[in-house]
Amino acid sequence: MKKVRSRKSEVRSLTNILVMTLLFLFGLTLSATKASADLTIKANHDHIKVDFFYHGSSVSVAGDADSGTDLIIKIASPDGHEVLKQKGKVGGLLWMNTGTLNFEQTPDLYSIHSTKKIEDILGPEETDKYVIGYPALSRHIRISPALGEEEKEKWFGEFVKYKESSNLYTASSGKIMTTVKDGKQTYYIMTQWPYQAPPGDYLVTVYAVKDKQVIEKAETNVSVEQVGTIKALAGMAKNRAALYGVISIIAALAAGFGVGLIFRKGGGAH
Amino acid sequence: MDFMYLYLPVALTSINILVPVGLGLAVGLLSGLFGVGGGFLMTPLLIMFGIPSTVAAATDSNQIVAASTSGTYAHWKVGNVDFKMGLYLLIGGFIGGLFGVQAIKILKATGNADFVIKMTYVIMLGVVGTYMFIESLNSMKKSKNQSQESVVRSQESGMTKFLKSLPFQTHFEKSGVTHSTLLPIIFGGFVGVLAAIMGVGGGFLMVPVMVYILRMPMHVVVGTSLFQILFNCIEVTFLQAYTNHNVDFILAVLLLLGSTVGAQVGAVFGRKLKGEQLKIILAVIVLVVTAEIVLELTLTPSLLIAQGGGH
Repeated sequence: MKKVRSRKSEVRSLTNILVMTLLFLFGLTLSATKASADLTIKANHDHIKVDFFYHGSSVSVAGDADSGTDLIIKIASPDGHEVLKQKGKVGGLLWMNTGTLNFEQTPDLYSIHSTKKIEDILGPEETDKYVIGYPALSRHIRISPALGEEEKEKWFGEFVKYKESSNLYTASSGKIMTTVKDGKQTYYIMTQWPYQAPPGDYLVTVYAVKDKQVIEKAETNVSVEQVGTIKALAGMAKNRAALYGVISIIAALAAGFGVGLIFRKGGGAH
Repeated sequence: MDFMYLYLPVALTSINILVPVGLGLAVGLLSGLFGVGGGFLMTPLLIMFGIPSTVAAATDSNQIVAASTSGTYAHWKVGNVDFKMGLYLLIGGFIGGLFGVQAIKILKATGNADFVIKMTYVIMLGVVGTYMFIESLNSMKKSKNQSQESVVRSQESGMTKFLKSLPFQTHFEKSGVTHSTLLPIIFGGFVGVLAAIMGVGGGFLMVPVMVYILRMPMHVVVGTSLFQILFNCIEVTFLQAYTNHNVDFILAVLLLLGSTVGAQVGAVFGRKLKGEQLKIILAVIVLVVTAEIVLELTLTPSLLIAQGGGH
């Protein structure tokens, strides 16, 4: 009997330890959840409508963060691929298309903003893990046909230049405004949403960074959608191509004749 | 000034409406004056203003349908369209186009299509521009100096004899010439092959063919050229819309607002100029475009990467 009792008490104390440990871990998790709730993100325009008069938009990204953290905001479309022509000198004299490059795992839109220079606040392993900044993006993107390191760097540079020329890629540091009040940090940045960005879903992520590591991140979405006549025309061009072609031709013929008639009436006989 | 911008549903970009209307007006003017479609000017300009190259080329052909309808109508009113000649040229152009598309496939398979296309373009533009320039300069001098005319007549007779010896001779009333029907079909075909290879309408080649080989009067050349460009561009617009989905309706409307008016003004203005004057101005424009392309080929481009498609 004694033995049995002592075993029972052993089991009880073990259970107690287990429960205590579980409670402790649960408490830890609770506090961690609480900490991540400190980082928030909100975009003022999360649904951009593309109508006739759409000429890009201004999107502000704002939220709260722990004081003492640096912030990085990334706006990007899902990875896709692009086939582009490369230009080179032929015969040492003439610039021509010399080949085709396939860029895989490339976001169509990539916009990165940080409170300080990325290399000063985040380690290379972390930048690569979250694809933060052009150098990290260059290691993320696959270019085929396969190129040597030097060539890859060159053509990635050209790719960024090409994307920046149509405002689809941007990078800035120091443009995020932050204010600290009662130990809490709020941040805000106004970004120009390029009209060149095609319809689709875009992910806006804020990373809180401390000691060269990402300690938290929060996400929100911005969707760009065509509406009204723009949507109808784009849909028709794709899905009812023959009818679209015929209408385009008839409209052009009618316009040509119409203007011809106006000129005959207005201009008199020559 | 955002209200000046319109969004283009197929090009997926926004453009200041003054740009396409202004470009349309300028290129339409050339179209009405010289009987060219103006694709060699319009397409690169649209690309410069941020329109994707494939959409620029396809939408331009839609716009040319309107400009050439307007221009053909203006020239037809004063009896300057030779429909019979236009029809034979069209038949030739259609057959030539089929061969040209095959030629492109073969070129692409050999891997240096771009080089061949660019060089064909530069050489054709250069040769045609230079020849027209020198010839029209000479004929302007000759019209002042009548005594040389007899020499020209005797030079012409050799070629005329050969052309007269061809079968299927027929009279083209509007142009006032008699030719074998084979002649416009063969040369229309020749232009069709080159135009397909270069990816342009070929008006700048068709005009010299009509002037120098078919010996048509310049004013009839302009009207007839526009007539056959109209039909070519209807076909191209449909194929581009149907197979490539590259025609932007809104952009085409903005362009044709300018180009249909430009074509009328050009046609009216052209009647006030002599044939030689028209030829020499066209020659200068063709030479300027040639020089521009040569510069573009030799100067280091700002971007070493570009979208696929287009030339």
